[in-house]
Amino acid sequence: MIEIRNVNKQFFSIRALDNITLNIQKGEVVGLLGPNGAGKTTLFKLIAGLLHPDNGQIRPMNGRWPTIGYKPDRLLFPNRLRISEYLAMMASLSGAQAEDRERAVFNALVQVDLVSHADKRIGDCSKGMRQRLGLAQALMGNPTLLLLDEPSNGLDPNGQVEMQNLIKKLHEAGKTVVISSHQLDEITAVCTQLVILNNGKLHYQNSMVEALTISPHTLIQADRDLSEIADIVRAQHPEIQVQGSHIQLRGEAMQLRREILALLLQSQYDVLHVEQKHVTLAEIYAKAVR
Amino acid sequence: MIQRISVLTRYFSKSMLFSLSGVLYLLLTLAFWFLVFNPQQQTPDEAYYQLIIGGFGAAMAFLVALSMAARANTAEHYPIMVRLQSRVEMVTAVLASSLLLTLFYQLVLALLALVNGPDLTLGHILELPPLWLAPMLVAAVLALHASDFITIGWSRIYVFGVLAILLFGQGLQNDSLASLSTSLSRYALNQGWIGISTRLESYATTLNLTDGNVVSRLFGFVFWPFQAMAEAITNGYFTANQALAPAILLLYATVLFLLAVDLFANKDLEFTE
Repeated sequence: MIEIRNVNKQFFSIRALDNITLNIQKGEVVGLLGPNGAGKTTLFKLIAGLLHPDNGQIRPMNGRWPTIGYKPDRLLFPNRLRISEYLAMMASLSGAQAEDRERAVFNALVQVDLVSHADKRIGDCSKGMRQRLGLAQALMGNPTLLLLDEPSNGLDPNGQVEMQNLIKKLHEAGKTVVISSHQLDEITAVCTQLVILNNGKLHYQNSMVEALTISPHTLIQADRDLSEIADIVRAQHPEIQVQGSHIQLRGEAMQLRREILALLLQSQYDVLHVEQKHVTLAEIYAKAVR
Repeated sequence: MIQRISVLTRYFSKSMLFSLSGVLYLLLTLAFWFLVFNPQQQTPDEAYYQLIIGGFGAAMAFLVALSMAARANTAEHYPIMVRLQSRVEMVTAVLASSLLLTLFYQLVLALLALVNGPDLTLGHILELPPLWLAPMLVAAVLALHASDFITIGWSRIYVFGVLAILLFGQGLQNDSLASLSTSLSRYALNQGWIGISTRLESYATTLNLTDGNVVSRLFGFVFWPFQAMAEAITNGYFTANQALAPAILLLYATVLFLLAVDLFANKDLEFTE
């Protein structure tokens, strides 16, 4: 859908984005992760056409720009307008004719659960309601590409789950979504692609399935600290790690699971838990931004 | 495109009209009316009516466009910008809404000024739109160039720098330029640059012998439409040349607007939060 090639963006002496190359494929939900100041919002603004890259190119893959709905990270809206008025304006700007406008507004309000607040002035809305409004206005006009900058920020736990469900529905409907968040659970739950930025550089890029299924490991938990036999356990294989009451087996060392369990039992340890695990998003993230 | 521009124009006009600055501009209009068209004083003639309200329109257009541009330059408009197929639509909407509001204030003043005011004939009334609209449009577009909304880097310094040079040049008299030329000629002679010195001296002599203020007229050429319109209003009729003045002002406004659009299209949008 969108091809980003060798894009650089600098603000005075700060390099916000450094040689970013990235493809956003049609129908994907791309999760953009990174610490504050990593360049996520700058990348959103570049894709949305609000900023121009210093070098490099951002272009549509099929030669035609998709229609874009953008929810900025800052929840700033015209405070004097009512929610329905603002959404009607956004619908008009998206090309909706007068007869379709009301229906489009109602549908968007239903999707973000704001129907009962349609006549409320935006200035009187809570942060969570503004977050929903941000998403509703982005959905106006049925855009093919949605750029959602921190969509769950400020939502209560139920609201976060609803937001995740909504993004999943959008994915099922074939929408392309780029989402940034600091909530790793949310990214894991809804994204099909994972991109990690740090200091303006692309540090990690993979499909979510591949990212989470690589480097599986076995975790064994004993009833007490294993320091007495730690060296013996480690000596079995270089890919065995012992920490506190936990033993982690990676790669070929996973084949030695029975031997390690036997060794623990011989040494009068009780085994509380054995689990086959995969790498977590938190581990991928920590490694990428280290 | 027309739909998006009209939606935005309505939105900007409404939000400004009912804002504090909108009310302040209305109060300013009323104060201006009371000071300049006090109904208890002598009835103003048509020329005074046309000139003063036209000047008020231009000044008000500058102020309103400046406020409107500042209003448009806020972060709440990022989602709107993404929806537009071209940035021209935003600039056009800001300009159109500024003109609409200015026309509203001008209309309030014009109607109030008719209380104990001049008796306008149909001919006078028909003259008003081009006379009032053209300078108003130029002023509004200039205000856009003065705003953060349009400006990139030093662009406003260039635009208003050129304007300042033209205004300064318009005030230059032949004799002052001749005396400057003579001083430079003497300096060149002292440096041994005989050729340059001779040319400068000859230029100074030409300037002294020339009738009228050639330099002033040369620089003032740009401001001719304003003078022509003022003269025509005062005389009560337009000559064939003077009748072109509003059209030339519209041409200035068009060129400045195209420049503004080009600047806005190529800038990074960093709206205020």
